[in-house]
Amino acid sequence: MITTSGLTKSFDLEGGSILALAPLDHRIEKGSFVSIVGPSGCGKSTFLRLIAGLEDASGGTVKLDTGSAKRPVGFVFQDAVLLPWKTVRDNIRFPLDTAGVRRDEGNRIVGELIDLVGLTGFEDALPKQLSGGMRQRAAIARALSDDPPILLMDEPFSAVDLLTRETLNDELLRIWQRTGKTILLVTHSVEEAAYLGSEVMVMSPRPGRLKKTYTVDLPHPRGEATKLDPAYHQLVAELRQDMRETE
Amino acid sequence: MLKRGIAGLVLIVALWGGGVFLFNVPDYLLPSPAAVMARMAFLYENANLLGHVYVTVMEIFWGFLLGFLAGILAALLFARFPVSERMSTPLILLLQTAPKIAIAPLLLLWLGLGPAPKIVLVAIVTFFPVMTGMLSGLRFVNKSYLDLARVLKLSPLQRFLHIELPSALPTLFAGATVATTLAMTAAVIGELMGANEGVGYLLSSGQENADTATVIGMVLLLSLMGWSFYELFEALRRRMEARFAEG
Ligand SMILES: Nc1ncnc2c1ncn2[C@@H]1O[C@H](COP(=O)(O)OP(=O)(O)O)[C@@H](O)[C@H]1O
Ligand SMILES: [Mg+2]
Repeated sequence: MITTSGLTKSFDLEGGSILALAPLDHRIEKGSFVSIVGPSGCGKSTFLRLIAGLEDASGGTVKLDTGSAKRPVGFVFQDAVLLPWKTVRDNIRFPLDTAGVRRDEGNRIVGELIDLVGLTGFEDALPKQLSGGMRQRAAIARALSDDPPILLMDEPFSAVDLLTRETLNDELLRIWQRTGKTILLVTHSVEEAAYLGSEVMVMSPRPGRLKKTYTVDLPHPRGEATKLDPAYHQLVAELRQDMRETE
Repeated sequence: MLKRGIAGLVLIVALWGGGVFLFNVPDYLLPSPAAVMARMAFLYENANLLGHVYVTVMEIFWGFLLGFLAGILAALLFARFPVSERMSTPLILLLQTAPKIAIAPLLLLWLGLGPAPKIVLVAIVTFFPVMTGMLSGLRFVNKSYLDLARVLKLSPLQRFLHIELPSALPTLFAGATVATTLAMTAAVIGELMGANEGVGYLLSSGQENADTATVIGMVLLLSLMGWSFYELFEALRRRMEARFAEG
């Protein structure tokens, strides 16, 4: 469970400050899949970074109840952030190696993840030898490798081609259902938000704030049938309308 | 590139030889290339030329190693404890701005005519570019990598080994490459000021005896040594750049 109360963030700029996130009270149940949509600059990244502890709040609090987990969150950054001097394999196993996981155990996990994200054959490549989409897939595998209870994903699929994106969406749903992780995913695609989420947060800019939340009742497991479901189309239409209003 | 360089060298030697022959230049002004070669062969057979080269190379080797290690250690210290940098800045600037020609006699007074003062002088000039290269590498680590370190809750040692050190390698080796030419010059200055062995010693005794062929031979030999030393580190630098820099 993630609870924010009065969570707010402003950045000091020359000659003033900018309110990136107006006080936000929200509760995300353990095991939810929360999609976050909103125009750029509305504080989506700031929200994720506050939850991850990468920014200090200007006010209010974030509480994560992840028990004794040493690393409560995994983060998929918007631009992959692979270490350029490590191979794909070593990047993916980096969280495991630095947590002292045994080598053979690490190899097994990394092997499965490389298959999962479709990077078989590129294990020994360096990040600069990969396309943007492949880099993001490696970053997703890395974030999954040490199995954090909360997974924060900041536009993870923006550089991935459409077909791969759909495959990864379905994989992500499977992982979510199997592991019961709490996932927060920022996306520009309202279709993706509706398809994946058990909840959708719509944010709006100036100042960044939570405009609305939807609970998504579409049945699981989701698949091609979901995309034909009138309820899905209804939600997508509403989200699109919300996005227009926030412009 | 190399072929053109060799062609250029051949041309210069041809002009030199041709000029000396055509204008009948006296030996004490400018000996012919053949005379310089003959003089070198003579020194090789009768004056232990290779022994002198060895002495100079060893002075550079040990001095460079010392300065390199000291530069890295100082950068680590300064990066970790900024107050230590402020405290040592005056001393470092004093050493750095004092003309090396002026420090050399002092070192000779303290340490005698052997290799020791040359080694110290080489270490002093090597220290500064290596320290600044390493320090700027440590200071300008990509912020996203530090975010990753934070999400993974890396220990300071893990962060250093996996992120800061690799990030610093390109600028460290850029500094070391600059240091190679300074180190070469420092060793020769030390030998010119007072020595009884080394290439600089041969050079200054050539000057005392108005032996222009020896002086020119030693200048060429020193250029060759300095050039190889530089190229060695330039090659290392390029490898570091290729593997550890962004992109
Ligand atoms: N480090 C920062 N310094 C100053 N302003 C920032 C910083 N990070 C974000 N902002 C500002 O905060 C607002 C929200 O940014 P962000 O959370 O990145 O939005 P989004 O991810 O929704 O596009 C924007 O106006 C942005 O310019
Ligand atoms: Mg963003």
